[in-house]
Amino acid sequence: MMIHPGFIRREIARSSKQAVVFILCVGLSLVTLTAFSGFSKSIHQSLLYDARKLHAADIIIRSYETLSEPLSRAISEYVQEGRVALAKYHEFYSVIRTSDDSTSVLSQLKVVEKGYPFYGEVLLQSGRSLHEVLTSGQVVVAPTLLDRLGLKIGDTIQVGYTSLSIQDVVLSEPDRPISLFSFGPRVFIAAEDLDALGLLQTGSRIRHVNLLKVEDNAQTDVLVHRLSQIADLEREQVDTFQTARSRIKRFFEKFMFFLNLVGIFILVVSGVGIQSTLTALLNEKQYAIAIMKALGATNRHILVHYMVIVLLLGSIGMGAGILMGILIQYGLANLLSVFLPPGTPFLIAWSGLVESAGLGMLVLLIFSFVPLYRLRDMHPVMVLRQDIPVLSSQWPVFACYGMLALFFFGLVIRHMQDVRFGLYFMAGLGGLIMITTLVTYAMLSLLRRQHIQNLAFRQAVKGLFRKGGATQTIMVSMTTALCVIFSIYLLEQNLNATFVTSFPQDSPNLFFLDIQPDQTTAFSKNVDKNVLFYPIVRARVTHVNSAPINRKAEHSKKRDNLARVFNLTYRSHLLDDELILEGKKLYRDDWQEIQVSVLDTVIDMQPMDIGDTIQFNIQGVPLIARISSIRSRTKGSLRPFFYFVFKKETLISAPQTLFSALRVSPEDVGPLQTRVVKQFPNINVIDVSETIRVFAGIMKQLSGIVQGFSALSILAGVLILISSVFATRAERITESVYYKILGAKTSFVVKVFSLENLFIGLTSSVLAVVISQVETYLICRFVLEIDFQMFLLSCISMMAGAVVLVNGVGILSARSILEKKPITYLREQPDA
Amino acid sequence: MNILEARNLNKTYAVENRRITVLKNISLSIAPGEFVVISGSSGSGKTTLLTLLSGLDQPSSGYVAIQGQEITGATEDELAPIRNRMIGFVFQSFHLVPSMTAKENIMFPAEIMGKKDAEQTALRLLRRVGLADRADNMPSQLSGGEKQRVSLCRAMVNQPKLLFADEPTGNLDSENGNRVLSQLIDLKTEQGATLILVTHNPDIARAADRIMTLEDGRLIQDISRTPGQGP
Repeated sequence: MMIHPGFIRREIARSSKQAVVFILCVGLSLVTLTAFSGFSKSIHQSLLYDARKLHAADIIIRSYETLSEPLSRAISEYVQEGRVALAKYHEFYSVIRTSDDSTSVLSQLKVVEKGYPFYGEVLLQSGRSLHEVLTSGQVVVAPTLLDRLGLKIGDTIQVGYTSLSIQDVVLSEPDRPISLFSFGPRVFIAAEDLDALGLLQTGSRIRHVNLLKVEDNAQTDVLVHRLSQIADLEREQVDTFQTARSRIKRFFEKFMFFLNLVGIFILVVSGVGIQSTLTALLNEKQYAIAIMKALGATNRHILVHYMVIVLLLGSIGMGAGILMGILIQYGLANLLSVFLPPGTPFLIAWSGLVESAGLGMLVLLIFSFVPLYRLRDMHPVMVLRQDIPVLSSQWPVFACYGMLALFFFGLVIRHMQDVRFGLYFMAGLGGLIMITTLVTYAMLSLLRRQHIQNLAFRQAVKGLFRKGGATQTIMVSMTTALCVIFSIYLLEQNLNATFVTSFPQDSPNLFFLDIQPDQTTAFSKNVDKNVLFYPIVRARVTHVNSAPINRKAEHSKKRDNLARVFNLTYRSHLLDDELILEGKKLYRDDWQEIQVSVLDTVIDMQPMDIGDTIQFNIQGVPLIARISSIRSRTKGSLRPFFYFVFKKETLISAPQTLFSALRVSPEDVGPLQTRVVKQFPNINVIDVSETIRVFAGIMKQLSGIVQGFSALSILAGVLILISSVFATRAERITESVYYKILGAKTSFVVKVFSLENLFIGLTSSVLAVVISQVETYLICRFVLEIDFQMFLLSCISMMAGAVVLVNGVGILSARSILEKKPITYLREQPDA
Repeated sequence: MNILEARNLNKTYAVENRRITVLKNISLSIAPGEFVVISGSSGSGKTTLLTLLSGLDQPSSGYVAIQGQEITGATEDELAPIRNRMIGFVFQSFHLVPSMTAKENIMFPAEIMGKKDAEQTALRLLRRVGLADRADNMPSQLSGGEKQRVSLCRAMVNQPKLLFADEPTGNLDSENGNRVLSQLIDLKTEQGATLILVTHNPDIARAADRIMTLEDGRLIQDISRTPGQGP
């Protein structure tokens, strides 16, 4: 069979507007996913490119305890043999005070040995090198510390039990971007001053990092392998610069995870757009196709030519989508550059682009299948009777929808790498689409049965059911898109209202960490309040029912996991905001062995039941406990809570610190913090409301990016609307011309079209608001357990925006229809 | 006063680089209540003349007035109330709004005019043409003859003073054609309207008060006669 390029060219040219909308839909379907998955790959590649600098070493050994003896010995041997150079640093939080004890601020301390960093550079304001400045008794601080304490270079600060002089300001450090979220400003301290600080108390949360520079790079993997074999992997982590997980990588992984969800969502909505616009395009050709068939064209001939058209237009769309995706990647790199280490080059990952192109072709083929399949049911008789073709066989369509479901499931799993979350996401999105489809169907059916008196409104309602129109598809896609955007907004606003704008009245706002057991009486006297102390014993979970924890699998989970360090506590009673879910009380009287009460959140990480055993590692000492009860919290608040609670006698002799939380009026926070730290330099004080405010600021920025991209899904709805206007162009022209011939003014036609759009816009946005309100209510009340607010005013303005958008687009795309003169139309009629 | 006046009407179309003059210097006046047939061979300019006289199209030059009100150069929106209140159209290919039922098609001009009794009038007219039982049928469910009778009712619903019909029986068989024509003339007579009808059918022309004949865009004959006389 011969392909006729002329025919293909003519067909595209004569439906140029529809073709453009189709190209835009294909482009849109790819743009976000290309951008997001490409950006993830690019960030990974960029960070890997500069990974030595990012980790400041070839081998990185991390631990929250001092290194185990065998590992420490092995490292010393390698150093003596000259195979590696070693530089340690210790990282922890502490409250820094001014020399006159007038103000204080929680800061992130990094106590570094000479040699740090092996790669990259700590950039100082003076331009000097770090170790030239950082000698015993001196510190280098972040500019924010000077701002918050009102100090300048040369001033003295109190750190722990010693005084240190500020020598310089740090502008950037290789292994931590300045803007990455942290509780306080950075302070560099020389290793020589570590003991003088007096802060390395037992049980304090200190990150000990051993950086190794390997003299012969070819030896890196061998050395890591040997060190890993020696290390106690439950508490020591040995990595090369290529395998080490950094906070930056983790931050981007988590953030891109959400953006990828948005990308997949946009792909679904714009996929519907591809199908809808192609159906519209082919409907427009229906008469021509019927004539061609009447003149002897075979189904195959027609199918092949239109398939070529689809592939041609689709390829242009894919090209445009990928190009836009690359531009967005650069945009994202700019937007998020504050979270990247300084000087990190942004490299586009070409493998991501190839993957996108393949994905684009798959999307195009799957979503084009049904419209192309309908071609065979466009019969020659349609020359005389222009009906919408009825499919002769439904099974290929069902098979196609089955493939679609599989395709998306595969895509979700591929991008989320978490089957359970993927299933939740699929179920959530599927449920949302199903609910909107059912509700819009019910509303349209109800509306169709109404006897409407008002002429314009009656005609507008009839317009909603125009032959070849896509009212329900537009409504479903608009509602779904708006629903996602409204939900993100409402959730953010509710969290903000609960924890930032009005900090919960009953929640403590000042946390005191690392209180030593012998400091409790003096501490209570200092704060002059009735203080409740929570003992904290730091431990890891090693086994559940004798089966070891798969640390790698646990680490890769997107949610909380069993591989991290937990804070254990002991007490004999339930807290006010706790209840027993399983078991009769906290501990059983009839068991002799060690018992532990677990929070239901732990069961969510791994299924466990009453009677099961958990093995802990408390600073090298194993402890096996049997689950005596499962607790739950009755409301989300900022009160302290513990996953694992033991009887007092079980943990009383374990190395521990105490934790306390107080409610203090905002004006007393500063003086109290300074007073406590002056007396107890080892105690860390966290101003929770301030911390949450900082965190909320970053979250707002990031959720703004997610929301911004989610808004692209509206574009898919808008494209479907435009294509629907084009698809019903002939009917709309007929209506418009007849209205005019019979004496209606253009304003009447505008009114009819506007009412139609108004119905679509208003119904979609009202429905989206209702669903997102219900959804947010459920999440707030039952997942986050916080108060729920409706933010009606914001919702109304978002609804108004959506209505104006739909109406504006609807009327603009129908402009040429409105301008059509009756005589022009009449002349075009075959028998006029 | 004449219901319709046209002076020196010319209509020229540009097709690629050529200019084609379809109507040349046509002047005419039509008195209230007249039944005028515009006849001529195919391509003589009959339909073009009808579109200019009814305001559906604008002449290249010349002047048209309906009941003394000039419509030349009027915008679509200025013409809208004239079309709604003073003019009724019957087309060869019916042009019923496909999304409206027969009754709604007839009601539409009355509703635009703001008449409260639009539905009753529509039903009365449908009964008058024998289509009362088809009131709620969509155009696609009607035969050609039925469509044209609905179209006729729609044209008459606002009791217009001027009725323009373009080959109203052209798409119908003779039986349906005769029926539509007699109903058209009856309704015109009942309402005292002026009927301007384009046709090349001599049988229809025989029923007219006046026959204007066009040839190559020129009005070559304008004969007033007693209905029933030969042309």
